[in-house]
Amino acid sequence: MSPKVECEKLCPEWPCEQPEEFRNVWVVVEASEDGLSEASLQMLTPGRRIADKLGEKLVGVLIGYRVSHLASEVIKYGADEVIVVDSEQLKTYYPRVYALTVVELARKYKPSVILIAGTRRGREFAPYIANTLKAGITADCTDFDVDESSKDVLLIRPPFAAILLAYIKTPFRRPQIGTARPNVFPVPPRDDSRKGEVIYESIQVPEEKRMRLLSRSKVAKLEVGVEKAEVIVSGGRGLGGPEGFKLLASLAGLLGGTVGASRKAVDAGWISEDRQVGQTGKAVKPILYIAVGISGAAQHMIGVREAGRIIAINIDPEAPIFSQADYSVVGDYREVIPALIEELESLRKRGPQAINEYIEWLKVVEGSRGKAETKPT
Amino acid sequence: MRIVVGIKWVPNTQAVRFDPETGTLIRRGVPSIVNPHDLPAIELSLRLRDEVGGEVIAISMAPPPAVKGLELALGMGVDRAILITDRVYAGADTLATSYVLAKAIEKISSDIGRVDLVVFGQETIDSSTAHIPAQVASWLELPYVYYVKEARPAGDGRLRVVRELEDYIEEYELDLPAVIGVAMRALKPRPVSLSMKIRARLEKRLIVWSNNDLKLDPRCVGLKGSPTIVAKTIDMPEVPRRKEVFKAKDPREAARWLVAKMLEDEKLRELLVKTLWGGGK
Repeated sequence: MSPKVECEKLCPEWPCEQPEEFRNVWVVVEASEDGLSEASLQMLTPGRRIADKLGEKLVGVLIGYRVSHLASEVIKYGADEVIVVDSEQLKTYYPRVYALTVVELARKYKPSVILIAGTRRGREFAPYIANTLKAGITADCTDFDVDESSKDVLLIRPPFAAILLAYIKTPFRRPQIGTARPNVFPVPPRDDSRKGEVIYESIQVPEEKRMRLLSRSKVAKLEVGVEKAEVIVSGGRGLGGPEGFKLLASLAGLLGGTVGASRKAVDAGWISEDRQVGQTGKAVKPILYIAVGISGAAQHMIGVREAGRIIAINIDPEAPIFSQADYSVVGDYREVIPALIEELESLRKRGPQAINEYIEWLKVVEGSRGKAETKPT
Repeated sequence: MRIVVGIKWVPNTQAVRFDPETGTLIRRGVPSIVNPHDLPAIELSLRLRDEVGGEVIAISMAPPPAVKGLELALGMGVDRAILITDRVYAGADTLATSYVLAKAIEKISSDIGRVDLVVFGQETIDSSTAHIPAQVASWLELPYVYYVKEARPAGDGRLRVVRELEDYIEEYELDLPAVIGVAMRALKPRPVSLSMKIRARLEKRLIVWSNNDLKLDPRCVGLKGSPTIVAKTIDMPEVPRRKEVFKAKDPREAARWLVAKMLEDEKLRELLVKTLWGGGK
């Protein structure tokens, strides 16, 4: 167990509480007119693991307006119990109203852990919850663990532009609050037979009198967002300009995928922000990620850790991406990609029986020149 | 309008290199810069001031070298700058940092004049938590909003902001004082003017506050005031990859090699078969 907290050593602005007063792992589940937020459901995956390691319950905290009917869904995705606050006050989202609703619940139930999806809203209201409770918060967790002896949760995150991995703990404070970017964890499998208790809470927090929502309009969305794509052809600064993305789009089209980009390409204004992959963009998990003119900075690569395979095309033989990809070609993408499109088109025309020819050819090539050079790590 | 803009002096993470011999990070000698995502926040603050009058005060809680960052803000046209520095503030997590910043903002309000708006960048490049604006808002109990792309005065102590979520664009009206986080590409920052920088130095518009000025309880700041502690850090573990590199003079040969590799690779063959010929033939 954690050591006993000595109240006189704490900042007097903090409430003095003992860690053992706190139990259960909470996941704050956001819901909208479109249903449950997928990013929130994803947080049930690490939540389940932490709860099992602690021997505590996994509790979904469902807040919103006219969301009660979704409570059983949260159970089906793995929660043992759901606390619902279904209130007209939550019809319009205001960061402080959402945050204080969770704060009031946390004061009543004293959870040991609160996980919140790092959607833009989540990133906005989560730190307000933490600060109001004077609790610790760790953003952008990529993994969680439990310290066996102290039962402290280890919140694992990549600070320093994703070059390092830090293990954070909050030994004297509860709840332990963590957020994770969407798509870092999978949505847990749905189990229709799961049953659990649903608790309805009618919590009223002070209204937001100092801020008003004037208008809200839906942004045109990508046909297939990079988050969902099975194939992403992504461009970086090495493209040299916006026209390069047209070539990438043709290749992506052929492979049934979509176009992504590095931060530098977005910064340069060559492509829209919603396609950005990486630490300040999106985490993606395609079967195939093709990085074109992307150097391979840690901030970018953190977003593609879950990619099945990575192909890199870069003209710079020293580009760090080559030691972080599966198959790489050193060359000018303006030549390599049209050739690749042509090759794939020709393969398509010739049909699946041509597959063996390629495998045979590869054997001959690798036999004569040795397996393609493998970069030292 | 009196605007406080918070900035952070951060290691330039783009300049961090791996030691090719040992494969470890070379962290020493990494130059520091003003967090690039703070620059649109400074720009937005300056534009608001230019429109309605008042002043912009840049603040930063950091060790003394961060003076350089505040001088840069002065060179962009910020009216004054306050470095908040003290050994007892060292090792602060975001809660302890936000506490010092919030108390400094309260001191500005009482010593200099009421602060109407507190502006931060979206997040920092070194830790990217985006905690501070909400945490400062929490200490000061102010309304706040993130991802602001536009802000304009709406008269009568109000501010209208447009902000962008993943799927929605929203417009809010905030009663001042308030806190905003500015989206990282919201505005193109103006360049630093050397003459403004020099003038600010001559006029001594950069001041330093220590805990003698803020008089905060040492239990609430620095490491002691931080609920989170870093148990350990490791280099980011490498994802195992095949690392096969093909150098060909002929792009057609390179393309053929890539396609062959994809067909040889079980994961990718299945994908190609599906996309090129449909179904699972």
